[in-house]
Order: sequence, then C-alpha cells, then structure tokens
Amino acid sequence: MAQAVQKFVAKVPTLVGAAVNYSKPRLATFWYYARVELVPPTPAEIPKAISGVQDLLKGFQSGRLGQTTVRDALRNGLVATEVLMWFYIGEIIGKRGLIGYDV
Amino acid sequence: MVPPVQVSPLIKTARWSALLIGLIYGKQRYDYLKPIAAEEKRIEEEEKKLREEQERIYKQLSEGLSDTLI
Repeated sequence: MAQAVQKFVAKVPTLVGAAVNYSKPRLATFWYYARVELVPPTPAEIPKAISGVQDLLKGFQSGRLGQTTVRDALRNGLVATEVLMWFYIGEIIGKRGLIGYDV
Repeated sequence: MVPPVQVSPLIKTARWSALLIGLIYGKQRYDYLKPIAAEEKRIEEEEKKLREEQERIYKQLSEGLSDTLI
C-alpha cells in the first residue's frame, strides 16, 4: 500500500507535465476563438445592439418575421437557447453552488 | 483553421447582460432563501429536542413499569 502510494507520488510530475503539454495547444485554439467571439460588447457596440432590437421589433410588426425559413428559425432558436444558458450560468455563479441553493 | 466569426453586437450584449442578470438573480434569491432555511432549521431543532424529551420520559416510564411486572 505504502509502496503504491510512493510510486504514484513519484509519477505526479510527469503526469502534470503531460497534462500541460496536452492542454497548451488546445488552450491556444480556445483563446484564438474566444478573444474574438466571447468578448463582452465594447461601449460603441451597445447602440448597434439597441438598433438591432428595434429592427427585430419592426420586422415583427411588419410581418417580415413570418417569412423566415424553418432553417433560419431553428438557427435563431439555437442562438436564443444559448443566450438563455448564459443566464443560468450567471445564476450558478451568483448562488455560489452548482446544484441547488446551499442554505 | 477556420477564422473566428464576427458575432453580432446584439448577441454579444444579450449574452453578457443575461450573465449579469443571472448573477444578480442568483445572489438575491440566495439572500432571500437563507433566513427562511435558518428559521426552519431552528424550528426543527426545537421540535427534535421536545420529541427526544418525550421519548426519554416514555422510556423511563416503561422501564419503571417493566420493573414491577413480575
């Protein structure tokens, strides 16, 4: 038992090194995409977002939204679901627990 | 590699504001639920003490009875 633990402890540096080597290029790819796609909006982009919402409303009133194809509707539904998931992630961070409220 | 796609500002604002709103909602709900749970725990503790007291009395009484049952 003690020998097995010792052997494992001796192997930990190699394991850590292997993990770092494995994750470095994948982390680089992640940053490459996240730096462009996941950044918060700059203050200059917020008026564009507001005008985007107004465009949506106008399209809804004019009936243009009834013309969207099923494919586009599914794509928009997926995007809306993703935005909804960010809300739940914010709730997880706010309640400081993964599952349920820790009261 | 595929170049990263330029996300529309509407989606970006929607995402991050959803994150913020979720954060605030989680914190407020936690603050609302915590005193309620503490109160329930306190009531549960008191009732448990009462129940254990009654069980103790019952046991003592039953021991007393079994002593006299020949």
